[in-house]
Amino acid sequence: MSEINCGYPGDRDETLVAYLYDDIDPADRAAFDRHLATCAPCRAELAALGGVRAQIERWTPPAFERPSAASAVAAPARWWRDIPAWAQVAAALLVMGVAAGIANLDVRYDRDGLTIRTGWSKPPAAVAAAAAAPAPIAATADGAPWRADLTALEQQLRTEFHASSIAAGAAPPMVRSVSTPNDADLERRVRALIEDSERRQKSELALRVAQVMRDVDAQRRADLVKIDQSLGQLSNNTGVEVMRQRQLLNYLVRVSQKQ
Amino acid sequence: MTWTDEELVARSIGGDADSFNELVLRWERPIYALAYRTIGREEDARDVCQETFLRAFRALPGFRGQAKFSSWLYRIALNLCRDWLRRERRAPVVQAPEDVDLQDLAAAREPTESIEDLVARRDLSRSVERVMARLPEEQRTAIILKEYHGLTFQEIADLVGCPLSTVKTRLYQGLTVLRRELKASPAADRP
Repeated sequence: MSEINCGYPGDRDETLVAYLYDDIDPADRAAFDRHLATCAPCRAELAALGGVRAQIERWTPPAFERPSAASAVAAPARWWRDIPAWAQVAAALLVMGVAAGIANLDVRYDRDGLTIRTGWSKPPAAVAAAAAAPAPIAATADGAPWRADLTALEQQLRTEFHASSIAAGAAPPMVRSVSTPNDADLERRVRALIEDSERRQKSELALRVAQVMRDVDAQRRADLVKIDQSLGQLSNNTGVEVMRQRQLLNYLVRVSQKQ
Repeated sequence: MTWTDEELVARSIGGDADSFNELVLRWERPIYALAYRTIGREEDARDVCQETFLRAFRALPGFRGQAKFSSWLYRIALNLCRDWLRRERRAPVVQAPEDVDLQDLAAAREPTESIEDLVARRDLSRSVERVMARLPEEQRTAIILKEYHGLTFQEIADLVGCPLSTVKTRLYQGLTVLRRELKASPAADRP
């Protein structure tokens, strides 16, 4: 409640605020007009509250920015696109190298074609040795229960394979023989095919490497241009910043001189 | 051709998504401003704004036009703001940084405004924001709806669910507090 007691009939505060916002019944407005003509405290308060309205209308919220669904979806991947392509390639190669190292990856390309072997946590030499000389069950048992089963299975397969080889002795000579003239011709043709395939693979690999190098080079150039532009922009911003600093300094000097 | 809110609502109910988009474009800024002035956090105000339209869209088939569409939206937004304040159990936050960001200032400057006027305007705006944040919620809401959204006393009374005279009293009390507090604020002394 107001501390002003001016003798206005009715609720003076409510009428004053309704008058202030011009949201008042015409009859009440006329009555309050007549009251104001004779009441200095009400006139003063009306003017003061009008001043408050003028002040509070200066309060503006920050600019509205509509949330974009597209930007929200794209946001998680944005950091990755900011990394230059050459760095992405380097990171990918590093990951592949580390993975290959961990997996003991053994890649060979010889007369037998492309061979890829993995030997988890065991050097390729050890793997080869193990394959060349299978040890007896007792010797290979290193505490792992599955190793004995594996060796037994291997033995069984060898026995079955040997038996099937003996049975194959009754098969037609074309299948059984390995050194007939027809086979030599076939071997030559296979070798020619393999060499041809090897050449094609090599040329394809060379093409792909060249393409990757071109892409990396193009991306590197684009990144360099981008960096150059960013540096230019930064330089401009710094200039603008210095100018604003000067303006503010001038303002402060002027204000201090006024005081 | 410009459709009225009520016509756009009718078309939206009939399945025209563009009409609802038009309503969103028309009312998103006032609703955001209401939310920001009520809760004082830019990001949360945007969330409230978004949620308001989401709820309005869901409830649109049940909107029978008893009130104006804008009043209906204001009611949804105010309820969401009240929920936010209750959940946070605190008064609106005043986001007033201590330092002056000249780049922001320069961007916000009117073409004819000097940097001195700009700094003064910003200071006053922050002072108002601080003082408004200290007002009781009912008084603040009454002032916001009347001063910044131009609602009539009767519309405010209907929105907040109180008698007409109560709205006027809250407004008078709020303005009186603002008058006293702003007088004590150094930024308010500037012309």
